[in-house]
Amino acid sequence: MKRYEVFLKKDGRDEYRHAGSLDAPDDELALVLARESYLRRAEADRLWLVDREHLVVGNTDFVAPNADKPHRHNDGERIAERRKRLREAQKYTGEDAS
Amino acid sequence: MTGPWNADIREFVLAFADDEHLMGQQHTEWIGVAPFLEEDLAFSSIGQDELGHAATLYAIVAGEGDPNREGGIDDRRLDALAFDPDPSRWRSAHLVEATTDDWAHALVRHWLYDTAEQLRWELVAESTLEPLAGAAARAEREEWFHRRHADGLLDVLLPAPGAGDRLRAALTDLLPLAVGLFDPVAGEVQAVASGVTIAPFDSRMPEWADRVRARFDGDLSSIDLSPSDRATPTGRTTRSNAFGPLLSRMREVLDLDPAAIW
Repeated sequence: MKRYEVFLKKDGRDEYRHAGSLDAPDDELALVLARESYLRRAEADRLWLVDREHLVVGNTDFVAPNADKPHRHNDGERIAERRKRLREAQKYTGEDAS
Repeated sequence: MTGPWNADIREFVLAFADDEHLMGQQHTEWIGVAPFLEEDLAFSSIGQDELGHAATLYAIVAGEGDPNREGGIDDRRLDALAFDPDPSRWRSAHLVEATTDDWAHALVRHWLYDTAEQLRWELVAESTLEPLAGAAARAEREEWFHRRHADGLLDVLLPAPGAGDRLRAALTDLLPLAVGLFDPVAGEVQAVASGVTIAPFDSRMPEWADRVRARFDGDLSSIDLSPSDRATPTGRTTRSNAFGPLLSRMREVLDLDPAAIW
């Protein structure tokens, strides 16, 4: 048996999304079984199957080092803080504080 | 008017409906116990397709040729046909009544039945009974997939050492029953005469036998696959020993309380 990862997509703008995995002895049966395991209720219009052996996998040690760099997160928080401060200063002075 | 209808044509359609119903029932009984999860889902789903075909055919019978009569057939009239407690009113083939305790038999029967079913629908694709022609078109949209499923599994399993032997043993067991699929019901002559079907089903038996030989690539000489000189057809009026237990399983909930209204 081989293990396949199942990706589904509805026609339109949505991207392919991982739906789960399945076991099958070969590619032909993987297609047949994916249809009955993941598409019985017309969940998608398109199907990708990827043999798990063919996935290039990055392990967690490889991925994790970038988890401690908050300066790379541009969530707009500092800009929002600055704008709020200026807005309140304007409210009290009636002047354009920009 | 949707096409010709009389007692003979009723027999003809009922036999097809009963076969589809019992085949679907047998497949769905594998839910939870098929060899692996994905196959469990696939096989019971295929069984559900067969039950859908049966419901379509029973609706033609219940509507006396017109499944849309009176705005559609009441489900209870379909149930009365599908769960008929009187075995003498059934027209099923013995192949679909048989109990298959192991997966090899279930798989081989799936292939044998669906290969014959394809030929059977083809005969009514242009039926003068319009709802039957419609059912044929609908069925073929599902059946190509059923065949791909059965063939896909056999492609993998037949060359495998232990599995191949078990499958060939199952074929030997099931072939004598499978040829009974081609036994005509009494109404078939009338069905041919009125264009409900273009030819007797057993006229397609040589084609079916060729496909069986090609698929299993074995010596089938001990099995009588010729339509003319095989054992006397039953006319589908007798039930096999396996039918009683099967009907009991199907009616298990109904029989809990015969007075209940569903």
